[in-house]
Amino acid sequence: MDGLLVGIDLCDTYTQVCGPEEENIWTFPTVICRGKNTDEWYIGENAYAQVLRGDGILVDKLVSLTGKDGTATLGNTKYEAAELMKRFLSMALEIPVQSGTVREINAVVIAVRRLETRLIRVLTDCLRSLGFEDSQFRIISHAEGFVYDTLSQKKEIWNGTVGMFDLSDEGLRYYELKIQRGPKKSFVIAEYEEMEDRFDLDLLETPQKAKVGDTILCACAERMMRKKLYSAIFLCGKGFESQEWAQEFMKLLSVSRRVFREPAIFARGALLRASELISARAAFPFICICEGHLKTTISMNVLHKGQETLVTLASAGDNWYGRSAVIDVIPDKQDSVDFMVTPLDIRKKKTITIPLEGFPRKKDRTLKVRICVGFLDDRTMAVEMKDLGFGELFPSSGAQIRQEVML
Amino acid sequence: MSLLLCRQENVRHPYYMENLGIHLYSSQELSYVIFNYPLLVMEDFVDDNLLNFLREELNQGFLALKIERFLKNNGSTDEVLAMILSEGDYHSSAEIGRFRQLLTNFRNRHPADYGKAKADELFSMRQYGKAAAIYTKLTEYPKDSFVSDLFIGRIWNNLGACYARMFRTGQAMEAFEKAWLRTGQKSTLEMMVILSRLDTAQKLSDQVKALVDEETESACQKRIDAAGEAAAKHKKMVELEALFEKDSRKRRAGEEALIGAWRQDYRRIR
Repeated sequence: MDGLLVGIDLCDTYTQVCGPEEENIWTFPTVICRGKNTDEWYIGENAYAQVLRGDGILVDKLVSLTGKDGTATLGNTKYEAAELMKRFLSMALEIPVQSGTVREINAVVIAVRRLETRLIRVLTDCLRSLGFEDSQFRIISHAEGFVYDTLSQKKEIWNGTVGMFDLSDEGLRYYELKIQRGPKKSFVIAEYEEMEDRFDLDLLETPQKAKVGDTILCACAERMMRKKLYSAIFLCGKGFESQEWAQEFMKLLSVSRRVFREPAIFARGALLRASELISARAAFPFICICEGHLKTTISMNVLHKGQETLVTLASAGDNWYGRSAVIDVIPDKQDSVDFMVTPLDIRKKKTITIPLEGFPRKKDRTLKVRICVGFLDDRTMAVEMKDLGFGELFPSSGAQIRQEVML
Repeated sequence: MSLLLCRQENVRHPYYMENLGIHLYSSQELSYVIFNYPLLVMEDFVDDNLLNFLREELNQGFLALKIERFLKNNGSTDEVLAMILSEGDYHSSAEIGRFRQLLTNFRNRHPADYGKAKADELFSMRQYGKAAAIYTKLTEYPKDSFVSDLFIGRIWNNLGACYARMFRTGQAMEAFEKAWLRTGQKSTLEMMVILSRLDTAQKLSDQVKALVDEETESACQKRIDAAGEAAAKHKKMVELEALFEKDSRKRRAGEEALIGAWRQDYRRIR
């Protein structure tokens, strides 16, 4: 495997491309521009420069546009957001390629601020049309990027709770990462909270406004970090490029804690995920529970070789996007299907029963049901049950049930 | 209460179960047929075709090999059937135990009684041609303590029913008459009267005619009328009427499909 590995942090306002070495990080605005009278395309600062020269038409907020399946008209031509995103990604991926001698990209992982089905679908289509195989790319959340980057560091950094403040034009977020060790499996759990007191980075322009920003951050930190022990705190995002303006906040964080400033934590995390993609081994011995991954295990009790057996349809830690399971069962004196939903806290285990309504009541054990399970997000399971019939003996009635289940 | 887990079987070439006129697409269907129609699988069922189906389509090569070796060592077919059920994972061991017992009971029956039970089973599955072949052989069975005139009479009656359902009314009339001569049953007499009404080419013999009183005539007419009414309301009749109301192009397509289905159905019952 001699190709490049690339990690991308793709946000509405900025994009960071990381690779092939972790030190090679390119940051530029997530904008694309087409020449006014030519079919030449520019991204990032070049796009702005082109517009300033009066030679280009610019589209910004590309991620939001893509998430909405929107369009943009450049000159007299209307472009689908997906097409613009494909051009943008294609040019962004050229950057690490042009910087080295290796021309081929082996794996690429894109970290986005919020994983939404539509965005994942468009990005997936873009990467496929750029020639990547499904095994060569992943779309992950910022939270997952945070996990990969943090766990790649020394153990003393992450053996306790790890906190992180991300302050950028996109807003203020607080992330928290914990390791939960169990007798059989250990989990790394990363969660985040969007701060209600989000503020504009323009606040930092004058000392008076910066003081207000500092006070807001302190209030957030006190609320989120109260009475907790941390092994490390990270600060990331454009807002923390300088911490001069946030002196009170820094004082508050530094009380018996290690504080690190990380400029490209999500892009680096994405790069580490890309490296795991081509490696046969997992990057760390934990099951990852964060945005983009299931927080619960879904299983069913079935009879197999005369024994009650638990069949797992999806496990906590699996990527919900693209995760699906298909199982054929024959009900024996049973007119419903039970799904066991087991979260990490096993005491909160619950059973979801879906009655086989509308399915013919045939002679016992002559109804074969195909159960297909997929996920719309980490908390919503889509279940489809179909009467397959029982060969020519009892043909299918065509009955079908589709239901969305909150996990 | 439970859900049986089905293994994934991508059967591309289903097994044709001749005695039932159907194709089997899974190990569960195979188990179902063996368990529910033991009389149809006790003879000539375990053969190379079945072993190939197990091996190639159900991915049960090990079971096929085990059966082959078992049969080479003069193992019994009944045991092979139980082996298939065990491997099918569709029946419980208690059910398989009961199945074994059932096979033993069948084997202990008089050969003529066993033959009749098998033919009756085929008749119930609308396999009239196959049932008729067995009944015909049974009519020639030498008399003994079990095979009485009454028994042979019942066989003729059932043979008549098979022919009637295959629209071979002449042979049906002949069989019913032979049955009636042996059993003297009123129901057989009624069948002959009904047959003669449905197919006017079939005439009752003088001997039979003499026995048909007004009451029998009226009972037969009632049965014919009731059957006619039921047929008129039957789902298939309603579908047929709806087909004739369609425009000529759609009707032609529907007619072709329907006639195709009838042909297939008739081939199956012959």
